[in-house]
Amino acid sequence: MMNRSLSLKVLSAVILFGAWEIAGHIPVSFAFPTFMESMGALMRMMGDGTMLDAYAETLKPLAVGIAISAVLGIAIGVWVGLSRFFDWLFSPIFIVMQAAPLAALIPLLILAYGIGLTSKVLVVCIMAMPVIVLNTAGAVRNTPDSIKEMGRSYLATDLDIILKIIIPAASPVIFAGLRLGISAGFIGAILAELKITPTGVGDIITYSRSIADYPSMYAAIFSIILLAVLFLNLLERVEAALFKGNQRGYASD
Amino acid sequence: MRRILKKIMVTVTALPFALGLSMANADTIRIALAETPSDELAAFFVALDRAKANGLDYEWTAFADEELAIQAVLSGQMHIGFGTPYAAMQRSKAPLRILFQLSKLKFFPVTTKTYSKLEDLDGEPILLHSRGGGTDAIANVIESRLGLTFGDRSYVPGSANRVAALLGGRADATIIDLSNKNKLMRSEAGANFNVLEMFDVEASDEALFGNLDWIQQNEGDVQIFVDALLSVYRDMHEDPTIIRRETDPDGPIGQLPEEILAELDGFYADAVEAGLYDADGGGRTAAMADLEWYSAAGQLEGDPSMLNIEDFWYLKPLDAAMQ
Repeated sequence: MMNRSLSLKVLSAVILFGAWEIAGHIPVSFAFPTFMESMGALMRMMGDGTMLDAYAETLKPLAVGIAISAVLGIAIGVWVGLSRFFDWLFSPIFIVMQAAPLAALIPLLILAYGIGLTSKVLVVCIMAMPVIVLNTAGAVRNTPDSIKEMGRSYLATDLDIILKIIIPAASPVIFAGLRLGISAGFIGAILAELKITPTGVGDIITYSRSIADYPSMYAAIFSIILLAVLFLNLLERVEAALFKGNQRGYASD
Repeated sequence: MRRILKKIMVTVTALPFALGLSMANADTIRIALAETPSDELAAFFVALDRAKANGLDYEWTAFADEELAIQAVLSGQMHIGFGTPYAAMQRSKAPLRILFQLSKLKFFPVTTKTYSKLEDLDGEPILLHSRGGGTDAIANVIESRLGLTFGDRSYVPGSANRVAALLGGRADATIIDLSNKNKLMRSEAGANFNVLEMFDVEASDEALFGNLDWIQQNEGDVQIFVDALLSVYRDMHEDPTIIRRETDPDGPIGQLPEEILAELDGFYADAVEAGLYDADGGGRTAAMADLEWYSAAGQLEGDPSMLNIEDFWYLKPLDAAMQ
């Protein structure tokens, strides 16, 4: 007997893919393939190595961008949360970054940083970092004063308070920010590959579209969504392992 | 709560009907442009104005790229589109047909002075528009006809951007369109570059296409449109300046900056001289050239001589207009 959570996941996947299959058969558009056709294309591309090559290319800006955003984002976020001055200094930058219509600003990025990896990493960072910073800062700022005071009365140093009280207390919201930020980073990576120069998965999407190979196009889109979901699940495991007893349950459970 | 739900249900069920009705009533031709209106579309808009004078009711939407325009026609949101959807016609089994060849694939290999003929580019990197796009196809055909292989292909969409890359020294060889080639070679920087000699290409770059069912249901409107296009193309070949003169100052082209409008005469004179447009709207000659070209370029599968042009072109309106 499967547990309830897993069976619900399987059920919703079956409903979604079933609806996709039916929509492809109607068809809603000549440009919309069925689920099975798309999966066939996905298998073919995984078999002949196209997908592997594409991800080798796409994961470069994605991994670098997400790593920078996560490390720097949490560090800046903690800092901003702890100090009013840095809040005043940095928060506006990230709020503007979050609100900026990035797709429209891409020509500006190309102007400044060219069409190479730098621009793509920047797109990922601009998408991912603001949520991470702002969530972390908010969580750190809202650590209950009472437990900080308790720490101080047990003669904890400032570093102890940050590492043993503030960060664990803030961890659920920091991780919520990480999840949102990383999903935005995935969007950013594909956006960069569609808007700057077509490479990797973005290239499969544009190329398949230009030769009307729609199953391959949707297979590429499906694969990146799948990767994002798997990665977010992994992140959840990491959180559970690192901050046991602190997580408060998520919709994806 | 229940009342709100009920209201929502009523709206949701009524909405498609309301939209459907309003669409059915509107007898407007919806045209999907593959780019925002620019000097290259001036002749097309002159034709639209002539068609409007003959009773054609139209509205246009500019899409960000050709593939989106094709998809909008495929899904039925747009009636007539801009582009060369050969791959979509063959692969998706959609009943799309081309009506009129709007422009030919006139592109020019431009390189630094290091190279003086196409053969010199064997093994050399080249900058192209996009994988699977028109310039990529040209590069494929150059390779197969001259028996050479280009080195790394990198892709930068837009001829103007590729010229910028060339000027910035980030590329030594690229393929660009007529107007950018002329601009570059007539500028002071032109002395640093070569335009390599290339074989003539008769295949279409942009063509007008629509859904066959829709075309057959709207023969009258389609005929007005094709008549207008053919008349403009013929007049343009006699006198390229009619485009500037007939451009509606309040239309999308007339609203372009004065500097662009001032160059319209030059643009169309160059284009007619270089054979960018076909005075007869392409027709069978263009269809045959396209099948051969797009097969060689990898967009069409199968032996081009076995392909039937009737599966890709709907020639009736053009034939009628020619008479």
